[in-house]
Amino acid sequence: MLIFEKKPFLLFLGILITAFSYSQVRKITGKVTGPDQTPLEGVTITVKGTSIAALTINDGSFVIEVPPTAKVLVFSFTGMETQEAALSGSSPLSVQLKNKEGQLDDIVVIGYGTQKRKDLTGSIATLSSKAYKDQPVLNASSALQGRVAGVSVTNNSGAPGGEVKIRIRGANSVNASNDPLYVVDGVALSSTGLADINVNDIASMEILKDASATAVYGSRGANGVVLITTKSGATGEAKIEYNGFMSFNKPMKTYDLMDAVTYAETANLTAGADVFPNPGSYAGKTTNWQDLIFANSVTQSHQLSVNGGTENAKYYVSGFYINQEGLLANSNQKRFGVRSNIDLKLTKRLSFGINVYAARINSHNNGDIGSKGNPVTSALTWAPTEEVYDSPGEYNRFGISPIWSNPYMIIKERVGNNFSNVGIFNGKLKYNITDWLTLNINAGLDMNISKYAFLNNEWISPGNNASGQSSSESYTFQNSNILTFHKAFGNHDLTATALMESTSSNYSSFGASGSGLASLSNGYYNLGLNTAQAISSGYSNWALLSYMGRIAYNYNDKYLLTATVRRDGSSKFQGDNKWSNFPSFSAGWKLSNEQFIEELGIFSNLKLRAGWGITGNQAVGPYSTLGLLAATTYSYGTTTFSPAYTLGNPATPDVKWETSKQLNVGLDFGFLNNRLNISADYYNKNTSDLLLFTRIANYDGGGSYLKNIGKVNNRGWELMIDANPVAGKSFNWNVMASFSFNQNKVINLGEDSMLERSWIGAGLITNSIQVVKVGQPLGAFYLIPWEGVYQADKGIYKAGDAMYRDVDGNGSVGFEDRVITASATPKIQWGLNNNFTYKNFELNIFVQGSHGNKIFNATYAATAIPTSDVKFINLADAANYWTPSNTSSTWANPGSTNKSWVESTQFLQDGSYVRLKNVSLSYQISKDILKLASAKIYVSAQNIATLTRYKGFDPEATSTAANSDTDAGIDLGAYPSPKTITVGLQVRF
Amino acid sequence: MKRFNIYIFSAAVMMLLTTSCNKSFLDEKPKGSLTPGNFYQTSKDLAMAEAALALQLNGAFNVVEGVHYGGDDITSKRSGNKIEFSDFDVFNANSSNARMNDWWGYFYKTIKSANSLIANYENAVSATEEERNNAGGYAYFMRAISYFYLTRTWGEVPMPVEAVPEADRPKASVQEIYDLIVADLQKAETMLPDHWTGNASQNGIDIFATRGSAKSLLANVYLTMAGWPLKQTDKYALAAAKAKEVIDGKATWGYGLLTNFADLWKISNKYNKEAVFACYYSNDVPEWNWENGNMMAPAPFAPDYEEGGWEDGFGEIAFYNRFPAGARKDATYQKDYFVKNDPNTVVDWQHTLQKHPYFLKYRDDENVDWSTHTANDWWSSATTFIIRYAEVLLIYAEAQAMSAGPDASAYAAVNEVRNRAGLADLPAGLSQTAFRDAVLEEKGWEFTAENGVRWFDLIRTETVAQANALRDPSEVPLINQPDDATHTYYWAPIPQND
Repeated sequence: MLIFEKKPFLLFLGILITAFSYSQVRKITGKVTGPDQTPLEGVTITVKGTSIAALTINDGSFVIEVPPTAKVLVFSFTGMETQEAALSGSSPLSVQLKNKEGQLDDIVVIGYGTQKRKDLTGSIATLSSKAYKDQPVLNASSALQGRVAGVSVTNNSGAPGGEVKIRIRGANSVNASNDPLYVVDGVALSSTGLADINVNDIASMEILKDASATAVYGSRGANGVVLITTKSGATGEAKIEYNGFMSFNKPMKTYDLMDAVTYAETANLTAGADVFPNPGSYAGKTTNWQDLIFANSVTQSHQLSVNGGTENAKYYVSGFYINQEGLLANSNQKRFGVRSNIDLKLTKRLSFGINVYAARINSHNNGDIGSKGNPVTSALTWAPTEEVYDSPGEYNRFGISPIWSNPYMIIKERVGNNFSNVGIFNGKLKYNITDWLTLNINAGLDMNISKYAFLNNEWISPGNNASGQSSSESYTFQNSNILTFHKAFGNHDLTATALMESTSSNYSSFGASGSGLASLSNGYYNLGLNTAQAISSGYSNWALLSYMGRIAYNYNDKYLLTATVRRDGSSKFQGDNKWSNFPSFSAGWKLSNEQFIEELGIFSNLKLRAGWGITGNQAVGPYSTLGLLAATTYSYGTTTFSPAYTLGNPATPDVKWETSKQLNVGLDFGFLNNRLNISADYYNKNTSDLLLFTRIANYDGGGSYLKNIGKVNNRGWELMIDANPVAGKSFNWNVMASFSFNQNKVINLGEDSMLERSWIGAGLITNSIQVVKVGQPLGAFYLIPWEGVYQADKGIYKAGDAMYRDVDGNGSVGFEDRVITASATPKIQWGLNNNFTYKNFELNIFVQGSHGNKIFNATYAATAIPTSDVKFINLADAANYWTPSNTSSTWANPGSTNKSWVESTQFLQDGSYVRLKNVSLSYQISKDILKLASAKIYVSAQNIATLTRYKGFDPEATSTAANSDTDAGIDLGAYPSPKTITVGLQVRF
Repeated sequence: MKRFNIYIFSAAVMMLLTTSCNKSFLDEKPKGSLTPGNFYQTSKDLAMAEAALALQLNGAFNVVEGVHYGGDDITSKRSGNKIEFSDFDVFNANSSNARMNDWWGYFYKTIKSANSLIANYENAVSATEEERNNAGGYAYFMRAISYFYLTRTWGEVPMPVEAVPEADRPKASVQEIYDLIVADLQKAETMLPDHWTGNASQNGIDIFATRGSAKSLLANVYLTMAGWPLKQTDKYALAAAKAKEVIDGKATWGYGLLTNFADLWKISNKYNKEAVFACYYSNDVPEWNWENGNMMAPAPFAPDYEEGGWEDGFGEIAFYNRFPAGARKDATYQKDYFVKNDPNTVVDWQHTLQKHPYFLKYRDDENVDWSTHTANDWWSSATTFIIRYAEVLLIYAEAQAMSAGPDASAYAAVNEVRNRAGLADLPAGLSQTAFRDAVLEEKGWEFTAENGVRWFDLIRTETVAQANALRDPSEVPLINQPDDATHTYYWAPIPQND
């Protein structure tokens, strides 16, 4: 077996070490190559136990003078396993380095410090950039999808730079945000987000999942923490790398809609009159609105980086340009930016580093999160009998149905541009006060200065052209001061950390807009041309002050103990409620270092971990408790704006932190010299004092007030398997699998047992279709049970009318008949990543799945039922409606004089899916062939196949906000993700 | 080197101290927003609160609600998305019917804002006493008119009088609600001005309620209290007296009838002297509450058959047939319909798709191209009249007749309205009930499909079933029968949401 081939080699090595321990001073030469036999440049060779070092040059060769006492050389190189070679007489040495696989010796970033992976007691997963190396990954969130157990990633919107929903171990909060905290090189992002950073700058991401790991982030750790470490320079000559790819995007699927003749016939039935006097005349005149709004688009990405340095000064500098066209015509996003990471060793004890990242993001018509009249719902419901133009150049503005304007006109004529300047800057000072005491001072800033500008021309805003601009600035300053004590004595190893941190965030905005634009020739640059003008501005700020202490203790490399406590004060709460404490404890037992386990000879690693901790959530907007007035404007019937103020939500000074208590038990197994690693974790998380905006009855004026009520439980388990089943000289196979099972349940809601949510899409949906209910998961749907069609007349119902269950038995069907039906929260999520290398070829196959959730497909409903917005139906399936001669149909006869309900279970669809996310094949051309550089070319395909029963465009796409789980899983014109084919090139100089 | 260490240390310590010693670091300072603590202080604050009240009531009257479709003046087709209007028309509406939510929601939003202003207007110490009183009076008026619509539509409803939410608020009795309305209006008629200044006065017309509006509304409230469900007939005299105050003082407030009924509905007359109280809209500004819906027209968008449109409602045939011919009828109903916007293919209402007459008065004359009958927008700048001077005259005529008898002043009032409509005087010597019935009929013609004026008269006079008995056989048949003795279907079901 291949697996055991190392053993004789090690034995041989051992003999060599012994044999040559008495040799003389000499010059050693040799050559270092990588796993693919290519020479490695810049490999550091040190004589073990000394500071004598040398580097390999570009052909991989090296020369080093070693003293007589030297016995072993150590070869180290970024991304490769550090290897030792005994000094033999037979110079030159030939050393082949291996890619890092077993990660147990890796240093893991744990938040205000680092730890070796083998010493971790909390549940922390690491995602290295290697996991997605040949894939056209445009942002960090798509890198995370399916690759880390316990992390759920859903592409809510397929728009370029669209919203992504990321959850770590389920959703805790009903109202406050459930988004994890992202920390880039020690800077907790606030003004910027995960999508703003350049994924190619990321060296690794550490995902802190359990409370014992996240409690060091206290009030911001409840939803898990993603620690992002960006790349840094490695010593040696400058290494230049170019990465580029081009993707071709097209829709994954389209709806099957009626042709114009069927539409006209059905419309006549619905109207009960001949709205279309001659439906047959529309034969061959069907307008396919879907084809018009969806475009085959192209994405290109170019990345250039250079890194290098000396022992005292290292640099990593990169630049990128991405141009992503949207699936919806006339929409795109361009991003470009630079990063410079510099690390300087000023003195023996003092080092200084500065990371600077700045990027520009230009989005054009990119705001389609999903709403009832957006181009997606519009295109699906627009009558196929309508023509695009009334006459050449003159759009057919309004059709017979729906009330929304021509979607193609909207898509082509609208102008809504967003320009963002984002920056993440941090300076870090590290001072080794003594060998065992270190002071780290980090100062960070993340900022977002953006501008939105729009122009409504004659087509968008007839007779009343308009333009406007709005700008906003958001700055978050963070200062962390960390004192770290570390000392090992005998079998004891103790690390203690103390932190004092302050964060403050400022947001201000300014907007000016107007209507009655006198001339379009200046675009949106001359707002003064507007006759009616309005200005607005806003301001908000929040601050957080924190103290944290942590002790990590390791006894005999067997027993591990970590205890932390964090105290946070938040400006968002008032008086005594500002402050709260967040403690945690965790322990680990390295069973594989125990004699009785070693004797079994099964495990190369076995560790039991357990932890408990409390984290908090203050993720409500600033001033949420103050009862601010709501600004509005009034016209007095004229064309000028005058300010007006209405009462906002009531002040709620008693509101305090939402807290989560989490228990985690985990087992790490390593077999066959860690070629097979399995991590299994069980967790149980209770979130209480939920920050909840409780709906105020309409008779009290509506709105909501913030309360701490109730409790949500998340429990589940997750499994990560990392295996290397075949490790040959030419053929290698790596498998990484992640499985997460999560059960989410509302335990109580204070005085209430159920809270109805507000809803989106008024005019289409007229009442709450989602509730928070005790005993149910978040995102529970609340719908009228649909039971097909009446086969015979019954009471006021005629045969062919839609049939609903009269749940309360009051003799009529209405919202009082709604019942809980499933939830939008998935139960199982998994990913399977396979990597095959054969000589210079590498094949990646990545499959990802999500199960157990339902989606309310309002987009589909809009095409299938007459509503106040959409007069006539358009769905091909619904054309097969019930008639006395077609009694097997479950679609109501359009001529029905009884109401069909959108808010019914008829439109609740299974959201489970299995998706072939990526297949990529790459070929490595070695430097021997190209002389100047090594190169890799690849071709890949994303979202090629999806197994799902969902009837919409994309089971991942929803119209509900990514930060909410109580309002979730509703598809109302959601922007689908594309299917893409990519070709890419990577060159290393 | 040692010295360098000390610098580092001191810098770190300084950093720690600067933040932790700054006690206000965690204070919230909402510099960009007004809070209840810094509002209601100046006359400008009061003006902003008044504007918000107007805006919220506007929300109740810029689209059509179904709750008054039980009246014999308006009906709807029973198909597609109009079924919920039809459900009110055929007495089949349940608590899930969405065509009543705007009234329920916006009247209560108005009440919440009014409650807040009532509680705070006296705190505006830097405003003049007059400004404070005007603001308070306006809030009392807006609360009263909101409850007046609420109780006439739903009967017993929750009655918050403070802007503090209360879970499971009990319903107040109809008597309690009217007591509050009367008390509020009595305050309003003393606290409100005769005329507003500034933005609240446009083209010499008061945008906000005045003393005249309060008295007019109070007259209607008394008249309504005299009928079902309270049946306090002693209120007829009070109604007559209040209406008389308005008629006698019409010069004070500048009230009067426009010469031509048709002129009322022209956008160019959006501010006119007949408006005792109205909601004013503007379609030229991009804010929903500012615009008036145009949903009853057979209008807006071609190319539907005939003139396209959403036809949220159209005229009931029997009522149309009884409607006396003349200028008023011509201004109320559309006469000619262009098939597919073709001016050469003109049909009458009997030959339209729905075979019903549409309301011309709800067609925005600015947005319609009358050469083709195409409209380019279904939002308009039209004014929604809540109280017209014509109503004050008819309230007086009825109340005077029911309290003192149909005397000359009662005749004069009703005849003023009839004459403007191009009709002759009512025959002299009518009995009290005959006169009352004639006035009610007159009110029906004058206020056809005007946000429930007809419907509220029918329930007040317990004649819903009687009126619906005349329903034309070609209409959608009634699903349930209203009963004038047991008053079934008089009140709308409380919305399911609450």
